[in-house]
Amino acid sequence: MEQRLANTWRMTVNEKKFIETALLADLRVDGRRPFDYRRLTIKFGREDGSSEVQLGQTHVMGFVTSQLVQPYRDRPNEGTLSVYTEFSPMADPSFEAGRPGEFAVELGRVIDRGLRESRAVDTESLCVIAGKLVWAIRVDLHILDNGGNLVDASNIAALAALLTFRRPECTLGGEDGQEVMVHPPQVREPLPLIIHHLPVAVTFGFLGDDNIVVIDPTHSEEAVMGGKMTATLNANGDICAIQKAGGEGIMQSVIMQCLRIASVKAADITTKIQNAVESYNTERALKKIKRHPPVPLDVGGLSTKPTENQHQSVGQKGIDEMSRRHLERLKLKSEEGCSSQSHDIEGENQTYEQGETKMRDRNANCFIGRPSSWDPYSKGVDPESLKALLASQGT
Amino acid sequence: MEVQTPASPSGFIDQLVVPGDMVLDLTTLSNQTIKLGGGLRQDGDAISVIKAGKLRFSKPNKYWVESSQKRYVPCVEDTVLGIVVDCKADNFLIDIKGPTLAFLPVLAFEGGTRRNIPKFEVGALLYVRVVKANVGVNPELSCTDASGKAAEFGPLKDGYMFETSTGLSRMLLSSPPFPVLEALGKKLSFEIAVGLNGRVWVNASSPSTIILVSNAIMNSESLSGVQQKIMVEKLLQRVQ
Repeated sequence: MEQRLANTWRMTVNEKKFIETALLADLRVDGRRPFDYRRLTIKFGREDGSSEVQLGQTHVMGFVTSQLVQPYRDRPNEGTLSVYTEFSPMADPSFEAGRPGEFAVELGRVIDRGLRESRAVDTESLCVIAGKLVWAIRVDLHILDNGGNLVDASNIAALAALLTFRRPECTLGGEDGQEVMVHPPQVREPLPLIIHHLPVAVTFGFLGDDNIVVIDPTHSEEAVMGGKMTATLNANGDICAIQKAGGEGIMQSVIMQCLRIASVKAADITTKIQNAVESYNTERALKKIKRHPPVPLDVGGLSTKPTENQHQSVGQKGIDEMSRRHLERLKLKSEEGCSSQSHDIEGENQTYEQGETKMRDRNANCFIGRPSSWDPYSKGVDPESLKALLASQGT
Repeated sequence: MEVQTPASPSGFIDQLVVPGDMVLDLTTLSNQTIKLGGGLRQDGDAISVIKAGKLRFSKPNKYWVESSQKRYVPCVEDTVLGIVVDCKADNFLIDIKGPTLAFLPVLAFEGGTRRNIPKFEVGALLYVRVVKANVGVNPELSCTDASGKAAEFGPLKDGYMFETSTGLSRMLLSSPPFPVLEALGKKLSFEIAVGLNGRVWVNASSPSTIILVSNAIMNSESLSGVQQKIMVEKLLQRVQ
C-alpha cells in the first residue's frame, strides 16, 4: 500500500496551470504546436507480422498470429479478426497486471472497430473450407511505455503488423477434397493478408475552459484534458469510426474542424506506414535467397577467402549478393562433381560472369563466413535446371 | 578475493566505486569529524560503499557517492522538491520520488505554531530539506534551514516542474555553473529551483521562455559543454 502510494505519478497544480496558460499562447510543453504529431518511428521484428512503434515517448509493439478455427455460425464464409491488448505494468505505474482495466478494453475496442467495421482486412479470402475451417487472425498489442496517446500508436502498430504478416499457404487435398494441408514457409511462400485500406486513428484532446484542441496529447496533457476524441479515417477521406466517450461537450463546428485536420494527418501517417512496410518488404525479398534448400558447400573453397574480411561489417544487401554469387559458384562446382581449388572456381566464373565482375570484386571484400553444411551424400543439383539458370544469368 | 586497503582516502576520490569497497580507514584520521553523504556507511572503523557510483569529496570533510538514476534515495541535508499528497493532523504527506512518502511536520516552518499552520492543497509543490532519512522509515522533511530560518524553502507558485535524473539535477547545482544554465542566463531571465530528487522547477514571465528553458535542460544531460552551448544557441535562434 505504501509502495503503491509512493509510486503513483502525481501532477502538480503548477503543471496543470502552466499547460493551460501555455496553450492560450499556442504553445505546448514539449515545444510542439497544437496540431503537430510527435516523431513517429516504425520498426519491424524478425518474424513476419511483428511491429514496434514509437510515437515520442510512447512505445507499443504489435504481433499478428493466425490459426485455423471453425467459423462463426452466422458467417460461415469469413475468417475472423480479433484484437487483444496487454497493458504491461512497466508502461505506467497505474497499469496493473491481470485483468485489463476499462481503458485497456476501450483501446482494444476502438482499434477493433476501426479495422472491422470498415472491412479493412478482407475476411472472405481467409476462408479455407466454407462452414468448417477458416483462418482466425489475432492481433496482440503490447504497451511498453505510456507517454500519452496510446490509441494512435497502437493503431499504427496493428496496421504495420497486419501489413507485414504472412499466413501459411494451405491447399485442399485428400480423397474428398476436404483434407487441408498447411504448407510450412520453407515449402511454399506464405501469403500476405489482403488489406483494402488503412484506417488510421487520430486522437484529439480538449484542454482548458475554452476547449482548446490539441492533437496527439502527451501523458501530462492527458491528465489535464477535459475531453478526448478519436477519429479513425483512411487516406481516401472515408471516416471509419469516431470515438468520444464522455468528457466535455464539444461544438459541432469544432468536431468538423477536427475531422478535416484528421484527414490530413491520416494521409501523412498512411504514407509513413507504407514507406516503412515497403522497405521491410524489399529487405525480406532479399533475404528470401537464403531460404533455398541447402547446397553442398566446399569447406576448402570457403577457407581460402581472406579471414580478415570476416571482421568487416557489411550491409545486408552485400551479404545477400555475395551469398547468391557463392551459391551459383557452388552449383557450378557440383556440376563438375569434384572438390576443386578456389582458383578453379574463379576460372569458371570468369567465363560466366564477365558482365558481373564489378559486382564480384566489390563483394569479394564483403564475404563473411557462414556455417558450412557439408553433405557428401546429397543428390546434388539437377543439371537441366542449372543450365536454364545459367543461361538466364549469362544474358 | 582481494581486499583493497586504501592508504589514503584520496586514492578513491572521483573514482568509480562499487558496493563493498572500503574507502576510508578511520584509524588513520583521528580527531577529525567526517560527514558521510549518500552511498556510504560506517562499518566499525572503516567507511564502506553501499551504492555504485563515483566517490566525491568536498572540503573540509564531506564524502559521498554520486550516481545518476531516476529514483531518488533520500539522504539527510538534501534539498528536494516535493508534492503534497495529503494533510494529516501532525504532518503533511509529501511525495519526494523516494521509496516511501515523506513526512513534513506542520510546525517545521519559520515561526510555525499550532495557530498558523499553513494550508496546502493536494498537488502543491514545495521546496524542502530532508532532515531524517533512514532505510525503511519514512523520511522527515523541513521547510526551514538548520538555524530555523525560512531561507527560500516553502511553496513554489506558478511556473512549471519537470522531472530529470538525479545526476542531471546534481550537475545543475554544481559550481562552476552548468553550461546550459550559463548560456540560457545570458539571453533570458528566469527563476529555477532544482531538487536533488530529480525535479526541476522553472518560472519566467512568458510561457515560451519557460518551455525553452525546460526543453534545453532536458536535452542537455548527455551533451558536453560545447555541445550544450550550440544546442542552446540553436534553440534561441528558432524562437527569435
